[in-house]
Amino acid sequence: MKSRNDDLALQISLGPLKLKNPVLAASGTFGYGEEYAPLIPLRKLGAIVTKGLSLEPRKGNPPPRLAETPAGMLNAIGLENVGLEAFLSEKLPRLRKLGCPVLVNIFGSTIEDYAEMARRLADVEGISGLEINISCPNLKAGGSLFAADPKAVFQVTTRIRQATASFMMVKLSPNVADIGKIAQAAEEGGADAVSLINTLVGLAIDVRTRMPILGNITGGLSGPAIKPVGLAMVWKVAQAVKVPVVGLGGIATAEDALEYLIAGATAVQVGCAHFFDPRAPLKIIDGISKYLKAHSLNGISSLIGSLKTK
Amino acid sequence: MKKDPKEIKGKIVDHRRVTPEYYVLKIQAPEIALSARPGQFIMVRLDDLHDPLLRRPFSFSRILPSKKKPGGGLAEGGFEVCYQVVGRGTARMTRLRKGERVDILGPLGRGFWREEGVERQLLIGGGIGIAPLLPWAEELAGKKGSAKGGAKEIRVEILLGGKNSDRVLGVREIKKLGLEPQIATEDGSLGLPGMVTDLLERELLSKSHKSTAIYACGPMPMLARVAQVAEQFDVPCQVLLESRMACGVGACLGCAVKIRAEGKDQMEPTSAPQGGLCGSEEEPEKSLREEMAVRISGAPFFRYGRVCKEGPVFRAQEILWE
Repeated sequence: MKSRNDDLALQISLGPLKLKNPVLAASGTFGYGEEYAPLIPLRKLGAIVTKGLSLEPRKGNPPPRLAETPAGMLNAIGLENVGLEAFLSEKLPRLRKLGCPVLVNIFGSTIEDYAEMARRLADVEGISGLEINISCPNLKAGGSLFAADPKAVFQVTTRIRQATASFMMVKLSPNVADIGKIAQAAEEGGADAVSLINTLVGLAIDVRTRMPILGNITGGLSGPAIKPVGLAMVWKVAQAVKVPVVGLGGIATAEDALEYLIAGATAVQVGCAHFFDPRAPLKIIDGISKYLKAHSLNGISSLIGSLKTK
Repeated sequence: MKKDPKEIKGKIVDHRRVTPEYYVLKIQAPEIALSARPGQFIMVRLDDLHDPLLRRPFSFSRILPSKKKPGGGLAEGGFEVCYQVVGRGTARMTRLRKGERVDILGPLGRGFWREEGVERQLLIGGGIGIAPLLPWAEELAGKKGSAKGGAKEIRVEILLGGKNSDRVLGVREIKKLGLEPQIATEDGSLGLPGMVTDLLERELLSKSHKSTAIYACGPMPMLARVAQVAEQFDVPCQVLLESRMACGVGACLGCAVKIRAEGKDQMEPTSAPQGGLCGSEEEPEKSLREEMAVRISGAPFFRYGRVCKEGPVFRAQEILWE
């Protein structure tokens, strides 16, 4: 029998944001929630992070956009999205009915894009906060990546913080020299939390044609193959910052999620596991609950960052 | 009837190699068969190991209707899928045994719909592309008999093509429906030497084409040609497209196909450059230049549609053929 205590044990806080459990659906793998609504009860999820949103609609990359790789997949969707206005008028009213907190993932090509979006999404009913995708080139800085430049990350988070009081989580890229420094820059800029890791840059080749499998040549690697990379980076970042860390990268089972919590994550995101196992988030929530019970732990907090390194 | 997709464990009741190239897998899954429509598909998860990682999409090649049990519940229903070994997933699939259970997600996507006001329904399959047309042929041929007084008789005709006789599929199943397929093979080992699209042109030229509707599935170059012929003769045409897929439910945007957009571009590119699903990092100016080049050269406007959601069956003229 599931008791009220079991439910309480799963509750977590990401700074000001309280969630009923630590399992979130990762941006880009869960559409706008409605795609999975027929398959799983969405109200059971900790939160949904919506598909990356930009001010204007974007077409995305030419196909093929997917390539399966050993225990993983490459994608190069190209941030296709409906744009801010269609999101607010068409997608959000439906998202509000799903009974689950919604975090909106946003991206831009200038700091002002980010600020503009943050401003227009602030205090909108049905939005619990923002996840900031900084894995985009900064056009003002000649196309160098926001994600790889601590100064740019500080600037963009500071500017967003000025534009909104909403919960702000910055999503970090693993394709950087020192992810700890980037996380610190986001924290100093006013981020309430950081999430990591975004996908790793990868390439798949068809040897018969000597052509890349993806239309975009390279893509982002996700799936169980990247879990050890994500874990190592979460472990590192959790020691570098005080704000909560949300771990993602290759989580498909409760055990994967527990590893991330032990490494220092306060919550986790399930990504491409939805594709092969739509019920994965529910199984993970259930598995974490069972683990807490089996180890006589009364809350997630006693698990977070409990890695024993002698 | 609730038409939402379901995730269930289906029981393999038969698995056989039907030609040197093709296999047929028969799965008992009454909950899925209940709402399955010709042209729709399922996503199969072979096991819970993570390699190969993704589900594989397969169209129904036969739908075996479910029966309601007297005491409630469903019995017997299921479906067949026909597949060809093309990679690791399908190679792994050949090892599935009768009695095993596999994880099925479906039914998914938009299936075929009936073109009204036509006297001839023309189905064209290239290679394994005939498979999803078989349940559609069955449904159309079934309706033919039930046409009531005054209604014109609707003929169902089937054109089959393949590289060689081993790659021509479904002849027996089509004959069982009381239909006689016309066949073309590229090497001339069966039927007319040539392409199935040659048969199509001959058909449309020889008989009154005005009241014909076309339903086609096969390789992209074949479908592009079918679409061209359909446009030339001004007959309605539906095509079933294949694509790499990850989710099958419209969430991942992986199975993109170019859809013609009216007049002005519906989806203006922003100054933001290309990136991955979660934002993989790419050189910005290049993609921007490419977008501009497309505009300057006056290429047709388009948007990307999802094969799994808006399709897999599309009107041929919706697609921007390349």
